[in-house]
Amino acid sequence: MKLLSKLTLYNTLSKMAIVLLFIWLLPALVKDVAFQYTNYNLHEQEKKVLHTIDKNGIDYYFDGDSSYGSYTMLKEEYISLDANLAGMAHDTIETARRIIDKDTLQYRILTHVLRYKNKSYVLEIGKTLASIDQYNQPLQRVALYVLIALIALTLLIDLVFTRVLLRPLGLIIKTKLLNRKFPFRDEHPPVKTSTSDFKYLDNSLIDLMDKVKTAFEKERAFTSNASHELLTPLGILQNKMENLMGAEISEEAQEKIGGMMQTLNRLKKIVRSLLLIARIDNDQFVKKDRLLVKACVKDVLTELEDRIDASGIRVTQKINSSMILQGVNKDLLFQLIYNLVNNAIRYNKPNGSIDIREELETGKRYMLIIEDTGVGIDPKDLSHIFERFKKSGPAEGEGYGIGLSIVQSIAQYHAIDIRIASTPGSGTIISLVFPESLL
Amino acid sequence: MKVLIVEDERSMALEMEAFLKRAFYLCDLAYSAKAARDMMDNHPYNFILLDLGLPDQDGLLVLKEAKVKCPDASYIILTARGDLDDRIKGLDLGADDYLAKPFSLLELQSRMQAIARRKSGLNDNVVALGDFFVDLTRRIVLFEKTEVDLSRKEFDLLSYMLLHKNRPLTRLQLSEHIWGNFSDDDYDSNYIDVHVKNIRKKLSVFAEVDWLQTIRGTGYKIKC
Repeated sequence: MKLLSKLTLYNTLSKMAIVLLFIWLLPALVKDVAFQYTNYNLHEQEKKVLHTIDKNGIDYYFDGDSSYGSYTMLKEEYISLDANLAGMAHDTIETARRIIDKDTLQYRILTHVLRYKNKSYVLEIGKTLASIDQYNQPLQRVALYVLIALIALTLLIDLVFTRVLLRPLGLIIKTKLLNRKFPFRDEHPPVKTSTSDFKYLDNSLIDLMDKVKTAFEKERAFTSNASHELLTPLGILQNKMENLMGAEISEEAQEKIGGMMQTLNRLKKIVRSLLLIARIDNDQFVKKDRLLVKACVKDVLTELEDRIDASGIRVTQKINSSMILQGVNKDLLFQLIYNLVNNAIRYNKPNGSIDIREELETGKRYMLIIEDTGVGIDPKDLSHIFERFKKSGPAEGEGYGIGLSIVQSIAQYHAIDIRIASTPGSGTIISLVFPESLL
Repeated sequence: MKVLIVEDERSMALEMEAFLKRAFYLCDLAYSAKAARDMMDNHPYNFILLDLGLPDQDGLLVLKEAKVKCPDASYIILTARGDLDDRIKGLDLGADDYLAKPFSLLELQSRMQAIARRKSGLNDNVVALGDFFVDLTRRIVLFEKTEVDLSRKEFDLLSYMLLHKNRPLTRLQLSEHIWGNFSDDDYDSNYIDVHVKNIRKKLSVFAEVDWLQTIRGTGYKIKC
């Protein structure tokens, strides 16, 4: 799950939990607030009554009677003033039932005991629970709506903010990790961010890539120098042997020297191939040629004509488009196709066939496919075939396992993707996927 | 034919000299750019074989100068330097060919011969071979005016063996000439046998080909 999704989910869930808690607590809260308010109101009314009694005397209410009572039209509120016959000692405020003019109703009642001219009186002020609760429902609803709106708003802000906050991470991954081709020669400036964690990550990645790059450069320089330094002594040896071969020597000696030359040749080929790979990896080849694929394939087949005939392999070539590749090195591409077709011949079966065809996705990419009916590649070897000095197939002492390494270097150099599908015993399909940039 | 070998690796220069002498070339050796310059001042040369990695001066500069001093000579650049531009620069400066070290002396001679043939402008490059005639310019083999149908590679092979006649040639040397840098391994040299078999088959229709000898375990030789 993406970090952004996780954070959003967490925010949503935590806020939902708060909402649920609030919904659960809301009735009780509202009720409590209403009660508190009612109590306060009752006290205020009590104060008013006491003030009136203070000012006008208790007879202002009694008006000659021994008690006083009054209620509103719907009996929502009432007030009564009586002599304290029950002998109540102190003030209370409680919820209780009262019968007012034949109706029994639940009231919140404030009871106050007051002394006036040595006589004790009880003042009761009541308010029906129904009238207290009447605002609860709408209040709760409004509170709920406001809450939901606020939460939705904060969620939205969270989402946008998280997105902005995480953007550098995506950028770091995109520029520093994805779409980067070994050996990371392309430079990318540090991603701009004020989050120190991301800066740390970014800098660590830049450091790491630099280290990889340096190590690779070193290896490449070594390969290049070593190969180059080996070429001269190899040349001297070869020339000495050639001269020896031409001298008057026995056939036996000739055979021995022939064997030595073969070994020397093997060494020479390896050194040359390593040097070629090092040079490709070193960007020493100019990629400015235009190449007609059809012509290149034809040249390769002409070059290999003799051995195709000799091996009795049927080659079908179905390149009909006049696809031209731009910005390539044609010698390298020739070598790339040559090596692949050569392998297809070499690892084929008697009376086998090779099919060379193309696939074009308009404006997207171009594929050159070389399919053979050869011995195929074991699935467990597939991942190693591009490694130097790895040979697959029957070990007949042929080849030095470097041809495909060259293929890979050339392909990487041109950003060509190589796809291999192989069934041991029935053949191999190699697809060269040329990127849009070369078309 | 007079050849100046400009090469600072003495043992390599000596091998080249030994080989070319046997092919009846007259050789002078120069181990430095300075020595080469002195020799060019004093002698005319048909061929100047020039190593680019000289100790005292860049070979390309020597070439530039030499083209003025000996404009008639043919130049072949020999180098182990990695720079691919060298080839283009060298050819731009007027070199006739370019060989990357390590090279085969047989190949060197073959290139020299090709240059000489090209420069002489003679169309008459027909060599007798047994009962056949090999026309190196038109690249055909004739038997009493009848053209023998050889493939391109078969002709290359035959003419190479002919150039180095009476010398045993290994399959490798032959395959290296035929496929050059594309010959990637021993596997290629197996095809040499196929080619030689075809050459024998195609020629023996007309006459004996006993001059094309197989050297057991090594390769082939044209004896004549």
